Amino acid sequence: MIRNNRMKRFSIVSSAVIVGALLLGVAPATAADPGITAKEIKLGMSSPIQGDAGKVYGKLPGAMKAYFNYINDNGGVYGRKITLIHRDDKYAPTLAAKQTTQLVINDKVFAIVGALGTPTHTLAYGSAQLAAKKIPDLFVNTGFSGFDDLVKYPTAFTVLPSYAMEAKVIAKYIKDTPALASLPSAFIAQDDEFGKDSTKGFTASGYKFAVPFKDTFYPQGGMSLDRAKGALTTLNGLGIKLLVLNTTADVSATILKAAESLKLEKKFTWIIGSVGGDSNTMLFLGVSPATIDGVIAASFFPDAKDSTDPYIKQFMTINSKYNKGITFDNVVLQGMNTAMLTVQALRAAGKNPTRAGLIEAIQTKGSTFASAALLPLNYSKTSHVGYNGYWVGQLNAKGELKPVGGTPTIYTTDSKSGPVVVSSFKRAPLPKNGIPNN
Amino acid sequence: MKTIKSSVKFFIFILTGLILLITSNIVGELQVYQGSYVLTYGVAIASIVLLTGYSGQLSLGHSALMAVGAYAAAIATNTYGVTPGLAIVIAVLASIIFGYLLGSVVARLSGPYLAGTTLALAVSLPTLANQFSFMGGEQGLMFDVGTPPSRFGESFSLYKWFFWICAVAALVTLYFISNILSSRYGRMFKAMRDNQLAAQLAGINTSQLKIMAFSISSGMAGMAGGLMVMLISGVSPSAFPLSLSFLLLTGAVVTGVYSLKGVMLGGLVLVAMPEIADIIALNVGGSDRLTATLPGFLVSALLNLAVMFAPNGPGQLLNRSHLKKKLGKEINDQK
Repeated sequence: MIRNNRMKRFSIVSSAVIVGALLLGVAPATAADPGITAKEIKLGMSSPIQGDAGKVYGKLPGAMKAYFNYINDNGGVYGRKITLIHRDDKYAPTLAAKQTTQLVINDKVFAIVGALGTPTHTLAYGSAQLAAKKIPDLFVNTGFSGFDDLVKYPTAFTVLPSYAMEAKVIAKYIKDTPALASLPSAFIAQDDEFGKDSTKGFTASGYKFAVPFKDTFYPQGGMSLDRAKGALTTLNGLGIKLLVLNTTADVSATILKAAESLKLEKKFTWIIGSVGGDSNTMLFLGVSPATIDGVIAASFFPDAKDSTDPYIKQFMTINSKYNKGITFDNVVLQGMNTAMLTVQALRAAGKNPTRAGLIEAIQTKGSTFASAALLPLNYSKTSHVGYNGYWVGQLNAKGELKPVGGTPTIYTTDSKSGPVVVSSFKRAPLPKNGIPNN
Repeated sequence: MKTIKSSVKFFIFILTGLILLITSNIVGELQVYQGSYVLTYGVAIASIVLLTGYSGQLSLGHSALMAVGAYAAAIATNTYGVTPGLAIVIAVLASIIFGYLLGSVVARLSGPYLAGTTLALAVSLPTLANQFSFMGGEQGLMFDVGTPPSRFGESFSLYKWFFWICAVAALVTLYFISNILSSRYGRMFKAMRDNQLAAQLAGINTSQLKIMAFSISSGMAGMAGGLMVMLISGVSPSAFPLSLSFLLLTGAVVTGVYSLKGVMLGGLVLVAMPEIADIIALNVGGSDRLTATLPGFLVSALLNLAVMFAPNGPGQLLNRSHLKKKLGKEINDQK
């Protein structure tokens, strides 16, 4: 009840203020896409610099910036310079969500590019409202096949082949290799979408491990040297001869070092997925070259040390000039390749790109982009997954991944129950001086 | 001591709400988003002020109490399909129950023993999520608020909707707490803080009072956790590190741990520090690593300065200067 005039006046003023505030709240938004001017295209990236994951993937943003700077020095994209704003998420999902949101509403980027990680980016995608705001989410570094759900992630394009594809290719490789097919095997994987996606692929392929999946899964960030030793001792006791790892590179290194300390490294035949099979990182983290020698690994890139490959050679040249002091490895290769895809996508979107036009351009022209990978790109209106297969090779003591028999066999497949087939794909030649001209 | 009449206090809160409502319609999306964090941190800092400043119990584990609220909200929506609004209420209730249990255990502790126990809680509790699959492991759980009510129109952003929710939650919580603190319970809290033995001799059941303070403080921290899970759209153990506890305690000390008046300023400090660090790093041409570590350094520096020059908050400095002027005037008058 309004008891006196003072309160009455107050309530009238309050009501007027509320109405005014509500009216102001429905003012129309501006139409132009943020992050692009006549001179600049602003892109945003969230990935780890600090923390365990940062030790492995910390070179990624630097490699991308190096390639973009190279393009900027050569005229940019139709005269616009590319600026990459990077924010460190320490590979923590909630921090990735916060940082990606900051990229969108604080830095006002045109598009997100090269985000890293499944747990981090699934949360960040929703938190930053990339779908609602129709913000292109280019070339996410994850193989989680769930990102191909175009209803949930309509603006996301992953670059890695899915982990399910990788599992299916590895399963076929094991089945087709007589020395491996009969070995009792186990599968060590991260207990999240990363591992579960692979499990889905192995299940679809019909390949059976001797140990149930749930017994050899570990939580993200939970693989210590002691835990690895315990697992390897148990698996050795069960008579396991073939170990398939779907791990990050730091965890692969932990497991291999545990095997070394138990003198079990040669008791097992090792197959490591593309994420964890980064030999440079494993060597850097202290795994013995003798242990690396003979490890079977899957990849979609040529070997990062193969300077005879025209793409690798060009990226090495750019790295030495624009990313001084940084050793060229798989992570730098991945970063530069992602940046080259980004430049092609921006060019494909035309001289005055819009966010919607960029998404449309990748859907319609993305499968024709030049790339260092030995696998075809798979982008279309119905699929936003990048590469669609793997080749399987063997690491030597220097950490070089060499195809068995001299020539890599390219396997392509899908993330579901489709067959694994040998592909005759030949990649597009390197654009002149590594500068896209599409 | 001068107290504010309850009707005046009520209208101050209503007026603050109106100012926030108007402000949310004037400022940009970024400021609205940051404002939501200021309000959320403000509630969390208020929970520390109640527990530490008023009841005299030091807690280094408030990030864990926030985690309880955040997980309760996320599990309520993910597993039981409750609405986000109800989920935040559940977050508060779950945290109150947790705080009651915790308070019952730690009521006999004080000083470094209490600090150590709550510190252990902050270290261990969030990592429990890795042990139970229903808590989503390291990846955590999603928390989807959905779209804002359609009656506000298409241009009404989700961030503004978050801000309104945070503003209402913060104002209701602070109003409730300020009423408790100005009631006999507030005086009992202060009596217990200043001299526990004397309070007991005066007939106050300090054990029960400590449990009560823990329960209310935990409920407020749970509210902040529930709001944070909404802002991030999900929860994972990494959202509630030990450093968050220290950060909140720093916010409380910087703005005055014995008064509720500065809690929003504390929230502002915590939100502004990373931005200031970004600007400094940009101007000195710093690396990503510098940008990442500078906020922690700045907050630590601010904490040290606060402890050295204004241990009871910036209000103390103003009061001191006001007191000096008043005393000077009185001396002159006597002359």
